[in-house]
Amino acid sequence: MHMTLRILCLAIALSLTGGRAWASSLGVELTAASSNPRSPRMGDNLSFHTVIRNDGPTPIDGLIAWISLVRIDKGNEQPVDLEDWSAHKAVTAARLAPGEAVRTDWPMRLIQAGTYRVIVSAVSRDSANLTASPFADFTVRRKPVVESRRVLPVAIGIPLLLGGLMFWRWRS
Amino acid sequence: MLIEIHNLKVSLGGVTILHDVDLSLGQGEIYGLLGPNGAGKTTTIATAVGLLKPDRGLVRTLGRDPLSEPNAIYARLGMLPERNGFYDWMTASDYLSFFAALYNLRPSQSEIRERLARFGLAPRPGQRIGTFSRGMRQRLGLARALIADPALLILDEPTNGLDPRGRREMHDILIDLGTNHGVGILLCTHLLDDVERLCKRIGVIVEGSTVAEGTIADLVRGHDRLVRFRLHLGGDISTSHVPAAITVVARTGEWCTVDLAPEIDPDTAWRELLFMGWPITEVRREGGGIEELYLGLTEGKAA
Amino acid sequence: MSAIGSIARKEGGDLLLSPRGLAWLLTMAIVLSVFGLLLVGNTELSLLDNAQVVYDMGGIVTALGALLAVVVGTDAVAGERERGTLVSLLLTPASRNSILLGKLGGQAIAWGVMYAIALPYFWAVGSTGQNLADGAVSVALFGTPVVLGFGFLAMGLGARLESARSSLLCGLIALLLSASPLLLGPSLRQSAIGRAFDAVNPFSGALNAYDAVIIDSQSILAQLPHFAVTLVWLALTLWFAARGFSRVSS
Repeated sequence: MHMTLRILCLAIALSLTGGRAWASSLGVELTAASSNPRSPRMGDNLSFHTVIRNDGPTPIDGLIAWISLVRIDKGNEQPVDLEDWSAHKAVTAARLAPGEAVRTDWPMRLIQAGTYRVIVSAVSRDSANLTASPFADFTVRRKPVVESRRVLPVAIGIPLLLGGLMFWRWRS
Repeated sequence: MLIEIHNLKVSLGGVTILHDVDLSLGQGEIYGLLGPNGAGKTTTIATAVGLLKPDRGLVRTLGRDPLSEPNAIYARLGMLPERNGFYDWMTASDYLSFFAALYNLRPSQSEIRERLARFGLAPRPGQRIGTFSRGMRQRLGLARALIADPALLILDEPTNGLDPRGRREMHDILIDLGTNHGVGILLCTHLLDDVERLCKRIGVIVEGSTVAEGTIADLVRGHDRLVRFRLHLGGDISTSHVPAAITVVARTGEWCTVDLAPEIDPDTAWRELLFMGWPITEVRREGGGIEELYLGLTEGKAA
Repeated sequence: MSAIGSIARKEGGDLLLSPRGLAWLLTMAIVLSVFGLLLVGNTELSLLDNAQVVYDMGGIVTALGALLAVVVGTDAVAGERERGTLVSLLLTPASRNSILLGKLGGQAIAWGVMYAIALPYFWAVGSTGQNLADGAVSVALFGTPVVLGFGFLAMGLGARLESARSSLLCGLIALLLSASPLLLGPSLRQSAIGRAFDAVNPFSGALNAYDAVIIDSQSILAQLPHFAVTLVWLALTLWFAARGFSRVSS
C-alpha cells in the first residue's frame, strides 16, 4: 500500500515536473536597455534585450522567438504592425543545448504615440506550448512633426510663384 | 541635277502609293509638281529627302542617295512642308537662331533681323510666334528654309494663307533665288497661277504615276489643245493679214476671238499680230494653257 | 552650342516658357502643396513620424516626376509630329542621334526642374531634419533612373504609335502598372507573383531604397541591388527610345 502510494506520488511528481520542465524548459527574459529614454517621444529609439535559455535537460531544436507589440490605451487596444517600428522581428536557432542561451537585442523606433506592451514569445519544433517573456510596458509621448510655419509658406508660395510666371509670360 | 527620280515605286503599309514616278530638277530651275489630292506628291517629296524608303527606282538628291547620306543632303537643303508647325512660345529671332544653330551657323541678332525684314517680317521685340498671322508664319517658314542658303529648296503650298501682295512678294523672292542665286526649287502647289508665273518645267502625278513632265509650252502643245485669245481692237483689221496658224473665229464689236494652232507658241502669237499691224489694245486668253492641260490630265482622277 | 545642346535647351524652353509646360509644373506643385497642407490640417497626418513623411514625399515626388516625364516624352516625339514641327528638325544636318540626345536632355531638364520645385517641400515637411538630407539624395539617386526611364518609354511609344493620344495612354498605363504594387497593399505584394514583380519593378526598387534609407536609416551604398533594378530599367527604355526614333518619319 505504502509502496503503491509512493509510486503513485512519484509518478504524479514526475509528470508535474516533466510538464513544468516542458513548459519551463525554455526561459525567456525581457529587459529594457538602460540607455532607453525615460520619457520617450515619437521618433525616439528604444531597445530591449532578451535572453532565451534552455533550462531543460534535453536539447531544443528549431527555436523561433519573435517580438510582439500591442497598444493598450483604453479604447484603442490593438496589435501593432511592426513594419515601420523595427526591421528585426524574429530570431531563430537550429539547436539549443541544455543550459545554452540565445541573447538578442530588439531595436525599435517609436512611430506613434500611445501606451504599449512588448512581449517576446518563443516556440520550438517539438514544443506544444508557447513560452512568453514577462511584459515590458512603455508610453510614447506625442510630438507633432510637421510644422505649419514651414509648410504653409511653401505650399502656398510655390504655386503662386509658378502662377505668377505663367501670368507674366501670358502678358509679355 | 539637283533631284533625279526615275521609275520610282513606293509602298506604305502594304499599299503601293507610287507606281512609276519620274522627276528631274536642275540648278536654278523652278519645277512645279502638280496632281490631285492623294496623287502621291508628298510621298514623292518624302522619298526625295530620305524620309521614306523606295521599293524600286533611282532617287538622287543633290547627287547623293538620301537614305545613305541624308545629313550631307540636309546641309544644302531647305524645305517648307505644307503642314509646317512652329514653337509658338519662341520669338521669330529665337526660332531662326535655333535652326541656324542646327546648321552650325551663328548669325548675329542684326543678321537675323535683316533676314526677317527680307521676308517682310518686322515683329515687335519679344513678340511670340503664337501671335503671328497665317501669312507671317508662312514667311517665317520660308525664312527658316533659307537660313543656310540652300542649293535646293522644296516648297509644299508655300503661298497658302498669303494675300495677293504677299503671294507676289513670295514669287519675286523665288524667281530671284532661281535666277540670280542658282537655287533649284521644287514647288508643290495647286495654284496654277503660281505655276504659270514661276515654273518653266512641271510634272503631273496622277494616281502614283507621272503622266506628264516637261516645259509648260511643250506639254500644252503636245496635248493638242487649241489656245484661244480674245483681242480688243482699237481699229479695223484686214483678215487677209492673218497668219496661217491663226484662225479668226468671231468678231463682235471691238472684240475679236482667234484660235491658235497647237504648233504656235501662244506667248508670241499675239505679238506677231501686233507686228502685223493689228491694233490690239487688250489680250485675254481663253482656254488652253496649263489649266486645261491639268484638267485634261487629271479628268476623273480627283481624290 | 552643339545641336544636342540647342535641342535640349529648346526642350527645356518648351517646359519653362510655354503656357503648356508652365501649366504642367503648376499642377505638380499644387499636388505637392495639397499633400503638405493635408499634413498640417489633418491631426492624424500631422502626427506622422518624420521619416514616414519624408518617405511619403519622396514617393509622391518620384510618381509625379514619372508622370511629367510620360507627358513630356510623349510631347517630344508624337506631339511634335502632330504639330508639324518634327519634320523640320529631322531635315536639318543634325543627326538623328543628336536630335534624340537633345530630347533626352530635355527629359533630364524637366526632371531637374521638378526636383528643384520639390526640394522646398522636402524641407518644409522634413521638420527635425532626421534623414531629410539622405531622403533628398535618395530621391535624386534612385528616382532619377525611374523617372527618366518613363520619359524614354514615352518617347519610344510616341515614335511607334500613330497618335500622341495613344502614346500618352500607353505610357500612363505602364506607369500605373508599375505603381500598382503600392496600391495593392503589402499582403498582395507578399504573394509569389507580387514578390517577383516587386523584384523587377523599378518603382518598387526606388521606393524600397527610400524605405531602407529614410525609415530604416540604412546607408545609401547598401542599396546597390535596388539601384541595379532602376539602372536596368533606364537602359532598356533608352534602347527602346533609340530604336523607335531611328525609324521615325514625318
